[in-house]
Amino acid sequence: MQLTQDLELFPEYTVTQLLFKDVKNATELRKMAVNGEIKGALINPSMVVDAFQILVATNKAVHLHKIGKMKTRSLYSEIIFNLSPTNNISEAFKRFGVSDSDCAVHIVLVHNKEENLNVDDIISKVDGQQIPVDQVSDLMDAAKIKKLYKVAPQEEKCGSLLDAVVCRMATKDVA
Amino acid sequence: MAQSNSLKACVPAYLKEAQLIKQGAEARVYRATFLGRPVVIKERFTKLYRHPEVDEKLTRRRTTQEVRSILRCRRAGINAPVVYFVDYTTHCIFLEDIVHSVSVRDHIASAQTPQHLQALVEKIGEVLAQMHDEDVIHGDLTTSNMLLVPGAEHQHIHLVLIDFGLSYISALPEDKGVDLYVLEKAFLSTHPKTETLFERLLKSYSASSKKSSAVIKKLDEVRLRGRKRSMVG
Repeated sequence: MQLTQDLELFPEYTVTQLLFKDVKNATELRKMAVNGEIKGALINPSMVVDAFQILVATNKAVHLHKIGKMKTRSLYSEIIFNLSPTNNISEAFKRFGVSDSDCAVHIVLVHNKEENLNVDDIISKVDGQQIPVDQVSDLMDAAKIKKLYKVAPQEEKCGSLLDAVVCRMATKDVA
Repeated sequence: MAQSNSLKACVPAYLKEAQLIKQGAEARVYRATFLGRPVVIKERFTKLYRHPEVDEKLTRRRTTQEVRSILRCRRAGINAPVVYFVDYTTHCIFLEDIVHSVSVRDHIASAQTPQHLQALVEKIGEVLAQMHDEDVIHGDLTTSNMLLVPGAEHQHIHLVLIDFGLSYISALPEDKGVDLYVLEKAFLSTHPKTETLFERLLKSYSASSKKSSAVIKKLDEVRLRGRKRSMVG
């Protein structure tokens, strides 16, 4: 169900993604993430085209964390910030973070390879149904994503929506 | 200092495992896997012959310029590799690997008759016209910097532009003319007896761009004097 991927650039880290639908306690979960009970990023799945998009954001967050150049306070908030096409932190949280009314949650965990990750502990905190992470594309709001990232129809001629989104995320600090 | 070196060491350790595919004067190009996908990494290494501060500035500017031009092209629907990650501390760009592609140079060299190539050069002219209409000057147009992705349908030619390392943004017909002149020189010297083919490319360029007449006029001027503009007088 969950998706685990090593970061080739940072071999000591592994990223695990979990996806839930029919979530009833989004408010509670958000509070737990804020006060550190859940060590992970809670993302609004309607803004996620593919799990790869999350990996790109996470890789960049770990990189900036290591060189001490993060724009936000923690690794997990940096992941959410990296997803956004703008440099406005509060807007990034509003659009890409989970909000109280959401009924689906995409959870991203960054952990050490050796460290035994207690996934069940996190799963037990979510009042919802876990579904495979690759189903995240079924939950996305393509129209909203295209509008926010300003993807014109002509750009989709030369690649997928995922390509367009990832390219903007990777280049937002210079473009 | 020791700390910053250890922090910087992630990418070099990774590149050590990667497969070096090309080494130029400006950068090294590797092939590897990144987040589970095949990628090409372009690493602009430190030039020891330059003053460190100048070197850092130049390298940084070229890296950002390359990334910007790629994004600008893609936005306009011109095929260029997707950027996955940019590391400004080691000046590495992680790009989509265009798998199963052949360079236009190899394709032309292996073609039996020039007739097969007419559709291709027309496509090249069209794509370059589109790129120039976006005011992107490639700066290093050669047939090696264009990739062909073999597709199922023959009608549709999938052409990808690569290596925007020398690219910049300009609306001047002069710059666009020089861009075409560089291509003409490279094209005719790597592929002998292709003058008619290149003419066809230019014709297709002219037909595709609204601003082409000024550019072609400049190209004729540049042909007489060479790439560098005379500064006498």
